[in-house]
Parts: sequence; C-alpha cells; structure tokens
Amino acid sequence: MSVEPALTILIAEDNNSDRLILQTIVRKQGHRVITARDGMEAVEQFRLQRPQLVLLDVLMPRMDGMEAARHIKAMAGEELVPIIFLTSLSDAESLAECLAVGGDDFLSKPYNRVILQAKINAFNRMRDMHQTLQRQRDHIRERNRQLLHEHELARRVFDNIAHQGCLNADNIRHIISPMSIFNGDVLFASPKPSGGMHVFLGDFTGHGLPAAIGAMPAAEIFYGMTSKGFTIAEILREMNRKLQGILPKGLFCCGAMLDLNLHTGHVEVWNGGLPDGYLLRNNGQWEKLRSRHLPLGVLPPERFSAACERYEAAVGERVLFCSDGILESYNARGEMFGEERFTTIIESSDSAEQVFDRLAAAIDDFSGDVDSEDDLTLVEVTMAREELLDDLSRRLGSSVLTGPSSWRCHYALRDNTLAQFNPVPLLLHICMDVPGLRLFSGQIFTILTELFNNALDHGILQLPSSLKDSPRGFTRYYNEREKRLKTVVGHSVSITLDHQADGHSGGRLLITVEDSGRGFDYSAFDTVNLDHNQLAGRGIGLLQQLCHGLHWYGNGNRVEAEFRWALPTASSASIGSESKDE
Amino acid sequence: MNEISHLDHEALSELQEVMEDEFEILISTFLQDSSERIQHLHQALESEAADDFSKAAHSLKGSSINIGATVLGERCKVAENAGRAGQLSPDQVVAIEEEFTLVEAQLKAYLKHH
Amino acid sequence: MAITTERSNDGESLTIRIDGRFDFSSHQAFREAYENGDNAPLKYVVDMSETTYLDSSALGMLLLLRDYAGGDQANVRVANCNGDVRRILTISNFEQLFEIS
Repeated sequence: MSVEPALTILIAEDNNSDRLILQTIVRKQGHRVITARDGMEAVEQFRLQRPQLVLLDVLMPRMDGMEAARHIKAMAGEELVPIIFLTSLSDAESLAECLAVGGDDFLSKPYNRVILQAKINAFNRMRDMHQTLQRQRDHIRERNRQLLHEHELARRVFDNIAHQGCLNADNIRHIISPMSIFNGDVLFASPKPSGGMHVFLGDFTGHGLPAAIGAMPAAEIFYGMTSKGFTIAEILREMNRKLQGILPKGLFCCGAMLDLNLHTGHVEVWNGGLPDGYLLRNNGQWEKLRSRHLPLGVLPPERFSAACERYEAAVGERVLFCSDGILESYNARGEMFGEERFTTIIESSDSAEQVFDRLAAAIDDFSGDVDSEDDLTLVEVTMAREELLDDLSRRLGSSVLTGPSSWRCHYALRDNTLAQFNPVPLLLHICMDVPGLRLFSGQIFTILTELFNNALDHGILQLPSSLKDSPRGFTRYYNEREKRLKTVVGHSVSITLDHQADGHSGGRLLITVEDSGRGFDYSAFDTVNLDHNQLAGRGIGLLQQLCHGLHWYGNGNRVEAEFRWALPTASSASIGSESKDE
Repeated sequence: MNEISHLDHEALSELQEVMEDEFEILISTFLQDSSERIQHLHQALESEAADDFSKAAHSLKGSSINIGATVLGERCKVAENAGRAGQLSPDQVVAIEEEFTLVEAQLKAYLKHH
Repeated sequence: MAITTERSNDGESLTIRIDGRFDFSSHQAFREAYENGDNAPLKYVVDMSETTYLDSSALGMLLLLRDYAGGDQANVRVANCNGDVRRILTISNFEQLFEIS
C-alpha cells in the first residue's frame, strides 16, 4: 500500500488498547515500530534506537508527552525528528502548548488510518527535504571554508609578489584592506634603479578570482620592469599589452601610476579610469590629476597611450589617489561618500600633511558598520629628499650573496635596432644577477645610460652636445636626434660587460662600449684641470665621479669604464663612499 | 434499547479489518484495562484525589473513543471535566460503570457474531 | 533594474534601455538584449535616461556590446546620460570608444 520507504517510528502511549491499535496500523503501513508506555520509556527508547518519527501521547504517567518531546527534540539536535501528538485534548491552549514544546502536529482519537498514513508520509517528505538542505548546507559550508583557505593561500602568494616593493617607505601612507586582492584593488610601489620610485594603484573590474588573476601579471610587470630600469611609459605599455591579451573582454584595470623623481623634484602621473587624484601643495593649493586615458587592458597596444603629465613638486608636497570604492561607499542612510566630501576635506585642512588622516577618519566615520560593497584603497605619496632611497635600496638589496661572480658578456646592436631598442634595462638586468651589485643598481644604470647615449648620440649620430646648452636647444637636439635615428644604416654599438668578484663582499665591473662612429678628441680629458661645464654635454663629469677608471681608446670610439664595488660593513654609514675609498 | 447508540459498529468493523487476528486481543485488552480504570476512579473518589480521577477518566475516554464506544467516551469526558473542576461525585462513576456494563455485553456479543 | 529593447521600424537600429542600477546583476539580461534577434542591427543605442547608477562591471558590459557589434567598426551610442552616469563614463574615458550623448 505504501510506496514511501520504511521508517522506524516510536509510539509512546500508556493506554494498552490504543497503543495496540496504533502499532498495528503503523506496522501494516510497512514501518518498524518501537513502543513505550510512558514518557520516560519514550526518551530512553529514542536515545537507544533513534527513530525517525515519534507518535507521543500527551498524558502519560511518570513523564508526560510534552516533557518527553522537549528531551527528544534536544537529543535530535539539528536532525528533524517530527513529533506527532496523540490526543483527545481539544482545548486550544493545550494544543498550542504541544506545539510550543516542539510538537509538529496532532492526531486525535479515534485514530483514522488514512489520515495517519498521510501525515507520516508528509512528515517523511519534510524530513527528506530537511536532510537534503542540511547536506547542501554542510557542503556549502565546507566549500566556503575551503575557498577561504584557498583565498588565504592565494593572497600569500600574491603578497610575496606585490609587497616585495617599498609600500612601507616613509613617504608612502595607504589604506588597503587585507583581502583587497579579491576585491580587485592592488597597490604597488618600488624604488627605481635611477633613484626615485614608481607607485601604481589599480582597480580591476569585478570581484573574486577574475579580479585577482589580472593582478598577478600586473605586479610582476611593475616590479620586474621597474627594477630593471624601464620607464613609466614602457611599464604601462607592457601592462596594457599583457592585460589586454589575457583578460576577457569586459574585464580591465582602472589604474594610476606615478613616477616620483626625487632628484629633480618632479612627479609624472598617468591616470586611466581612476577617480581624480590630487596634488597637494605646501601652500594649501591643490591640483586635480584627472583620468586622461582608458583603463589598462581595453585598447590594443597600437592605440594605447602612455602619455603622462609632469608636475614639479617640492619636498613635502604630496599626491593622493583613491579607488572608486571610496567615493562610492555608502553609509547606513544609503548616501554615497562622493567626490564633494573628498574635496571639502582637502579644502578645510590646514596643511597637506593633515589631509590623509582626516580623509581616513572621515571614511571610517562615514561607512560606520556598513560593509563596503567595493574595496576602499587610499594612497598618499610624498615628495621626499633623495636620502630616503639609500635606506630603501639597502633594505631590498641585502639578500643572499650567491649568483654569478665571474663572467663576461658581449652585446652588439646594429642598424635600425639602434633606433628602436634601448639595451640598458637588459644589460642592467644581467648585472643585477650579481646580488652584491643590486645595491649599486642606480649607479650602474646611470653609467650604462651615459655610455650608451654617448656612443649613439655623439659617436654615431654626431649630435653636438653644445646644442643642449639652452632649453630651446634641447628641443632642437631631440628633434635632430629623431631625424638622424631614422637614417642609421651600417652602424653598430657593442657593449662588453666583464665582472670579477673580489672576495665575497666586493668586485669589479668593467664596461666597454665601442661605436662605429668617427670618434672624438678625448685628449682634453686627460688634463688635470677639468672644466666640468664644458664636459656636461657628455655626462663625463658624472661618469668620472661614479667610476674608478674611465679611459678612451682608438679614435675615441671605444671607452672603458671600471666600477668597483664593496658591500657596506656594519659600521659604515654610507654605501656610496665605501666603494670610492678603496 | 438500540445497540448502535452504545457502540459504533462501523468503527468497530473497520478496527476488525485493521487488527485482523488481533481483534480479539484488542477487545479483551480494552475490557480488562477499562475495568482497572473504573477501579481507579473508585479509589480516587474515595481519597478525593481529583487529579488522579481526571487522568483515569481521560485515559478511559481515549480508548473508548477509539473502540467506538461513543457514549462511554462522553460519560468519561463529563467525569474528566468534573475532576478538573474538583467537583467529584459518585454519580459520575456510576454512570460510567452502567454504560461500561452495556458496552462489555455488546462487545462480547459482537465478537460472537463476527 | 529592468532592461527593455526596441527595434526601429526600418530594423536598422536597436535601442537598449536600462532602468535603475546598471551593475553586475544586469549581466545576463543585458547580453540577452543584444544577442537575441535574427538580423543584427546596424547600430545600437544604449538609452541611459532612466539609469541611476553605473559600476565598473557595467563598463565591461558596454565593452562586450562594442565587441559584439564589430569592435572598432561598431556603431554604439550611449545616449541620455545623467550627471553621475556621465561622470563615470568620463573618468574611464569611454568617449574614446563610444559616442556619448
């Protein structure tokens, strides 16, 4: 008669004849029956046999049905064990109390087998549903736990990549949530080998894994290329190219990148899709750093523009950027934080220094307990004195002293490759494989750049350095350079790097650059009294300061620069002077 | 005297159908339990234990209804309510006893004929 | 959020109208709005007159539409943008990719 599966059903009824009837009906419906004659027996039988459904008389000796129901429900815990009260009670209050103690239904006397069967089946379906729900809930809970664990691991991997930089530098303040990577926000900062630093704030479309995936290559490109001496424009182009290639259509990265030049006191800004940034002046004035570009990953490489805006900035002046999560955060009343609140705080601050803390406090106050839908990232980068970086590069560079120590490498560029390719980052990269040399990456970068530019600009292109004497001449110089670069044929520049370790804590790097140009009269440089103004055009004064030996050969188209390095000892205060004093 | 008014034959035959071989056991269990409950009623009346009185009446009411002894169930209900109100009276027990005697006789007769 | 579409009488243009918030929850509906239909229209108009809010995933959806409609050859106009919507499109410099009015 029954198509439902058999259950184990507990019948607790003190009345022998009633119990006999019920037990017969239920058994005939195909279920297994356990009986009890009072509440205490019922609780005990439940504990021993864990029936799936309980039929419970209300009035029983020793322990009544309501009390037994309480115990049974407590023992059942999360499992749904339906309790049907057997009753000839009819007053509403008693019936309500049955439900209050956990009863699920009633069955009144005289027992009707059709109704009883219908109820048992209905509760069995409910029990099934409940079990399915719980299984799914447990499954989801377990999946969620696993997912959080995976996120945590992924975040650690990401941290290793993204936080190798100098976010902890004294001139950077930032707010970024610990799980920000899964909300799509990234913040990178790295010192440049030539001095100064690059900072990148990015906001990937979407949340979760898709947002995190793009962040990895972005971080690698940013840190890898910055440390190898690439320019902000080259890095942006590469990030755009990479992201456009790997991200599906519709996913992209709004971002802003800063190139902070501490030496000249300039900051270059590129903003593609982030809300306006702010340049806060020491005199209380401020300028907006507007988004001028499409986000990264939207345009194909040939249409991408890495054009930056350049600002002068004095020590103490600062740049502020935030992701749209801040402007679009909501408070409990459903209002957006908005740009106006942002600018009001900037305007009402007494000094540029206060702005960051006041903004941070305002954002905190504003959203209160409301969970932010987007992520909130705020970063402030302050123009600092150059000394800041000495400390940074020491912190980053003092890794293990393994790696190649004795090697030689020869690299030559020919014809129009000379016009298209800057070999300095590549060469610097090779040098940076010597761990000890990393501390001097800025100096080596400068030496390589100056030597290569001399070979190309003066040696091959025959550009007169005197042109660079006036600002106007500069423009002419570069125009002329562009023009001549287009017609380079049959020329080459070769660079030879030769490194020899000197013990474990020092060495010598010999850089030889030879060009196919006509050379120049270098005899003047051997004289004792150098006129530095005259030499500025070829950067030779600078080279002589950085190198331990600088010699020309042939017609002046081959130059050899010797750079000696030694690791600072614990007592020495300055790295730069250490190598010179040898 | 009409038998139907004391015993619901329809209910009884349905019970018989369900119980099959155990129908006789059920009837004898009912009769034996019921006489015990009537004894309880007497004792409770004597000792003026209103709660016990009411519980015994309630229990007898339930089994009477299930067996199809509708009138007996009604009389038990009167006694149960009286017990709850604390107004015990020998009349209530007498009424139940009288009715039970009839039901018992008729059940036995029913068993013989079916 | 509700998305409705209307085809011009000559069948050449498809107008997709977005009421309320245009964010990730609109993803499926927005895609269906332009992917369904037998003959692809020549031009698309995204009508933002009743759009209250736009997030970055909505920008992504616009890029998907642009790609579907032919990439650089696509004729997609984003019309009737109110202040906030306009601001977000401007920050992202989407006028470089779409005709915005």
